Amino acid sequence: MSIDETGLCRLMAWLSPSFPVGAFSYSHGLEWAVEDGLVKDGAALARWVEGVVALGAGRSDAALLLAAHRAVLASDREGLDWAAERGAVLRPTAELGLESSAQGQAFLNTVRAAWPHPFLEDWAKRLKEMGHPPAYPVAVGVASALAGITERAALAAFLHAFAANLVSAAVRLVPLGQTDGQRAMAALEAPVLAAMEAALRRPLDDLGSSAPMVDWTSCRHETQYTRLFRS
Amino acid sequence: MAALQGRVELGYKLSEDGASRLSHLYHSNPLRVLFPAPAPGEPPQAVLVTTSGGLVGGDRLDISIQAGEGAQAQVVASAAEKVYRSTGADCLLSLDLEARDGAWLEYLPQETILFEGARLRRITRVQRAASARVLAGEMIVLGRTARGETVTHGLLRDAWEVRVDGRLVWADALHLDGDIAAAIAQPAGFGGAIACATILYSAEDAAQWLEPARELLEGCAVRAGASCVNGQLVIRFLSPDALALRKDYGRVWTGLRARIADLPERLPRIWEI
Repeated sequence: MSIDETGLCRLMAWLSPSFPVGAFSYSHGLEWAVEDGLVKDGAALARWVEGVVALGAGRSDAALLLAAHRAVLASDREGLDWAAERGAVLRPTAELGLESSAQGQAFLNTVRAAWPHPFLEDWAKRLKEMGHPPAYPVAVGVASALAGITERAALAAFLHAFAANLVSAAVRLVPLGQTDGQRAMAALEAPVLAAMEAALRRPLDDLGSSAPMVDWTSCRHETQYTRLFRS
Repeated sequence: MAALQGRVELGYKLSEDGASRLSHLYHSNPLRVLFPAPAPGEPPQAVLVTTSGGLVGGDRLDISIQAGEGAQAQVVASAAEKVYRSTGADCLLSLDLEARDGAWLEYLPQETILFEGARLRRITRVQRAASARVLAGEMIVLGRTARGETVTHGLLRDAWEVRVDGRLVWADALHLDGDIAAAIAQPAGFGGAIACATILYSAEDAAQWLEPARELLEGCAVRAGASCVNGQLVIRFLSPDALALRKDYGRVWTGLRARIADLPERLPRIWEI
């Protein structure tokens, strides 16, 4: 993965837990998985997150990020509209939809304010016309392409940040020690990169996911009695 | 076995006497349609039959059902659909459900059973007017479970698209390929389940049926959950036990149609056979 230092710094800023998209408030159904006893320790956590990244939102978000990134580089307006529309409608549950659109909107607003670019202004207008909030992976794909960040680097960083956010949620929920959390992150390095490689090989027609357990945990989370997270 | 290309077109209209009637019918091999006399209080019913006994790679079936203004119709499958092992080609299934102003369209399938090595791509497209209501579903079983068979490889793509007045509002895509045994075993994947199902209720009033749907789900023996997303009520089921899933699915389906459309709380006779 070759990436220049500017691109690396940009990705570290955009996908860091302190970037104001509110990532800390989403567990992607993990809060119910912990409540239900499906995730009890660090090993179970690493396996759960590997599934989410390889089969669940990691799989579908990767395709959306790539579609948006490629459309920007190819000046393909229709392709970008397609990615924005798909990102906005491909929603397994209400809470997973909120997780994607609220983070996507916050990401776009913050990048527009701090790293302004004329293309982003046009795109924000276009999204308004279409009546769709930007899905998080689509917004990250667009911003990375404009910043000259390769699709591989953007995708690896996005999937890694997604995995790290779930691990951080589990550290609070299970609860786990900080070191156990980092052991899970170490175990997830190879699966995250494998998910990236698989996404790069996959045709866009195969956009989708195969993680019905995540959809189920998210449905159950919507009525969970005591909850810390919005998803 | 040569690949088959079958097609069904069904159209319903509201007659002047207030009854819904079949207004258009076309079918080609291996698809046929039966029209049993509806039970009291039921809208007209059509039963889809696949006469080939199952689908192989390269087969293509297109089913198109339209409920005209104010019309009501129920379309059900006669039996579980079997998809056999493919030597390479995908089997393509497309289902178009169109409901115009004020229409009620119900599409109740039975299980789609994937054999080891089967390759299926299915898309269900719902197109409705803002004032129309559509209740539709799908149910998938991975392997002939009665024989203890599981699926370890093949392809299953089951996609949904919902358009309201032409605008795409919701999509879903289950895409299972590669190491299917691993995805079944993955805790966040299928979590050991070999059967899964979806019920979609698409209508302007979908959100108000979320709580009643959740109450119906409380009695489920299998994993089940509901959400109202982008204005669609989506109910999902998941289980290692295909029969238990079918039972819960049928119960929730009839509970919903009774509550939402004031229709009898019962399944079509063909479902019980």
